[in-house]
Amino acid sequence: MSSWVIGMMLGVSVFLGSIALVALMWAIKKGQFDDKEKFLNAALYDDEEELNDAVKMEAKRKEALRKKEYRPE
Amino acid sequence: MKLSKKVKCDHCHLEFSEDVMIEDDGHYFCCNGCQGVYHLLSEQGLDGFYKKLGDEHLAPPSNQFEDASNFDTPAFYEQYVKQTKDGFSEVSLIIEGIHCAACVWLNEKALTNMDGVIATNINYTNNKAKIVWDDENVKLSQIIEMIRAIGYNAYPYDASLQEEKANKERKEYYLRMAVAIFATMNMMTIMVAQYAGYFSGISADIKHILNIGEWVLATPVLFYSGWPFFKGMYYGIKTKTVNMDTLVATGSMLTYLYSIYITLTRSGEAYFDSVTMIVTFVLVGKFLEVLSKKSVADTLDVMNKYLPHDVKVLDGEKVFTKNVNDVAVGEVVLVNAGDKVALDGEVIDGSGTFDESSLTGESEPIFKTVGDTIISGTVSIDADVKYKVSKDYAHSTMSNIVSLLENAMNNKPRLQQLANRLSEYFSSVILLLAAFTFIGWYFYSSDFEQSFMIAISVIVIACPCALALATPVATLVGLSIASKKGILFKEAAQLETMSQADVLVLDKTGTITQGKPHVVKEKIYKDFDISLLYSLLLNSKHPIAKAVADYVYDENLHCLELESYNNVASAGITAMYHGKMLAGGNAKMMKIIGIDVDDKSEDSEFYFAYDGEVLVKYELFDMPREDAKEAIQEIEKLGIEVIMLTGDHQRSAQKVASLVSIKEFISEMTPQDKANYIEKLHKDGKIVVMAGDGVNDILALAESDIAIAMGNGSDIAIEVSDIVLLNDTFGSLYDSFTISRKTFSMIKQNLGLSLVYNGITIPLAMAGYIIPLIAAISMSISSLLVVGNSLRIKIGYKD
Repeated sequence: MSSWVIGMMLGVSVFLGSIALVALMWAIKKGQFDDKEKFLNAALYDDEEELNDAVKMEAKRKEALRKKEYRPE
Repeated sequence: MKLSKKVKCDHCHLEFSEDVMIEDDGHYFCCNGCQGVYHLLSEQGLDGFYKKLGDEHLAPPSNQFEDASNFDTPAFYEQYVKQTKDGFSEVSLIIEGIHCAACVWLNEKALTNMDGVIATNINYTNNKAKIVWDDENVKLSQIIEMIRAIGYNAYPYDASLQEEKANKERKEYYLRMAVAIFATMNMMTIMVAQYAGYFSGISADIKHILNIGEWVLATPVLFYSGWPFFKGMYYGIKTKTVNMDTLVATGSMLTYLYSIYITLTRSGEAYFDSVTMIVTFVLVGKFLEVLSKKSVADTLDVMNKYLPHDVKVLDGEKVFTKNVNDVAVGEVVLVNAGDKVALDGEVIDGSGTFDESSLTGESEPIFKTVGDTIISGTVSIDADVKYKVSKDYAHSTMSNIVSLLENAMNNKPRLQQLANRLSEYFSSVILLLAAFTFIGWYFYSSDFEQSFMIAISVIVIACPCALALATPVATLVGLSIASKKGILFKEAAQLETMSQADVLVLDKTGTITQGKPHVVKEKIYKDFDISLLYSLLLNSKHPIAKAVADYVYDENLHCLELESYNNVASAGITAMYHGKMLAGGNAKMMKIIGIDVDDKSEDSEFYFAYDGEVLVKYELFDMPREDAKEAIQEIEKLGIEVIMLTGDHQRSAQKVASLVSIKEFISEMTPQDKANYIEKLHKDGKIVVMAGDGVNDILALAESDIAIAMGNGSDIAIEVSDIVLLNDTFGSLYDSFTISRKTFSMIKQNLGLSLVYNGITIPLAMAGYIIPLIAAISMSISSLLVVGNSLRIKIGYKD
């Protein structure tokens, strides 16, 4: 086996692994594991309605931000 | 009374008989509060809540709240409300009344639907909520009113303190550990190839590629995961001390640089695996320590909740609520039965009994009438009085205690852990040895590369993985055994402090004793219908009446209809039954109705008379806990001095002390006296463990090295303590001593083991006999030895 195969395989597997690692770190940073109970209950309350609420909330936030920016002073 | 069918309330799901329920369009409600919430939820389209709630019960909503407009004052905003980057406001609230996931859902949903609320996040585990809103659209008071309207209550807490910081620190450790563990695991697979190659031959090219792979993996571990060590070293240099961080940081950094040099020059063996392993192991040890730290912030949150924020102020004929901080000396404040007193003052109208146990530890309620002083922090049992404020809030007794407590909590003595003390010496010795090794080898062989490599192998082999794990692993095992026995240590380091204690200070009421009077003697003068006595007792809230009621209770009793109750202050109660007079109370009560009783007893007495004739006499006493005597003797056998402190008078202290055979006791102490006494013990160089249960003990608890609270003690006492005894027995007090001693001896063994291991390997390394494989294996074996040894603590604590 030539050494570049080893090098490539090593590189690829570490790269793939690090993608998973980065995803995990992103989830930790976003606080997805902060609340054990919520994590377990999420399945019960995750519905279309909740998704809509999240979108509405986001819209509300943008709206409020926009108002703040264009406020004549 | 005829029994009617029981019906469930449609909001809170509690069952009551049908005829007391409010019927409303086919729905039943137990109170107006429930009815209001139910209709509100239907209007808002939130009735899906009830489907999610299932069979869970709720507490019926309360209607008595402080005025929400207080939440909009600038002073309040300054203290609790933060501005986010985008210019929104953010507050942290604790929501009361959350029972289940559906409650959290309802709160989040209701707030989400509000105009101007930008984000809500409620923690399921501790009911703490973080709410972000736009202050131009909606006010905080409206948000809190919404939470109240749907049947919950919210009060703010200051999240910017340690708790938030601790959470952030913990999260950072998770991230660092994720990287470290990922890299170490990958490193291990590469090392399998490296070691196989070491013994059976490996081509230089492949070895080079593997070394580069290791380099890539080791870099983030050293600089990202290992960052806390560099920071620790920096602070160490600033304060001119050598600590464990110095050794880990210099060791791993030098090894890393040397391995890069080896990789680039393609000569010898690289030590990248040692770099990752050292950082990972020591980081895990550090993380275990961070995990078991408690924050002072939570304690002060509970304190604030405990104190009333509003009082009812009387202005002429009008009564209005006022924030305690705004009440001036001389104003007249109204206190009703069940209220907590917020300010010191003097009674000007009315009379009744007060529970002062939180301040004095005295279990007997105290009767107060016009002219008596009234102290903040006490609770009115049945008194409706008006009193004139004599001290403003900041100078009242209770807020004095709170500020003293804050002080004591911040200056709590802490013993440095053995491992930390040891690692200071250890680190300097190793760094010196490595330097000597380098100089020695350089003079001997004048080969720079070889001398450098050998010096580095000394640091690598000595890197304190086992040393770093010795304490956290042993304490974790100790903590888990303790928690199985109902002993909760709030911080792992306390196990070590506890094991070195030489004085145990006990509070009397509620700690040694059960905190409630019990009937110890019954003397029946004449047979009578116990239902008469029981019906009379049901009308009193006095602890003695309650104790007698508990004593005489049995299922065959029935409630008789008594008339014209009368509470005779500090004497007893009277009532009429079919024209004849019933009376229950102490000797004074009997005298009032014209009966002379002359039996003198040391304990509290309760007489019951019917139609002018004494029928029965009970003697009551606050008995010590069942296993107190044996446990105290066992604890004394461990060589620990046991002292009892109490706010009670000399006579009852004497009696309890002799019952549990405590030789040293001091009576009639104020909370401040107790704290001073512990400070005095500190000055004599003693390590003090204090066990208490009430508000009157908190200052002393905060002052002591180790504070132990009984599980049924007051919230504040539990918060202030380091150890909570969940099952309230003295046996577990004894166990907490033995477990901590055993754990500490295990820590010493672990430290000894890792020192012995270093004693063998360091000379070998200095002589130049250590190859990377041996370094890696010995590091793992010493860590395994420490972990395995720690598990031995469990022996003897089989459950």
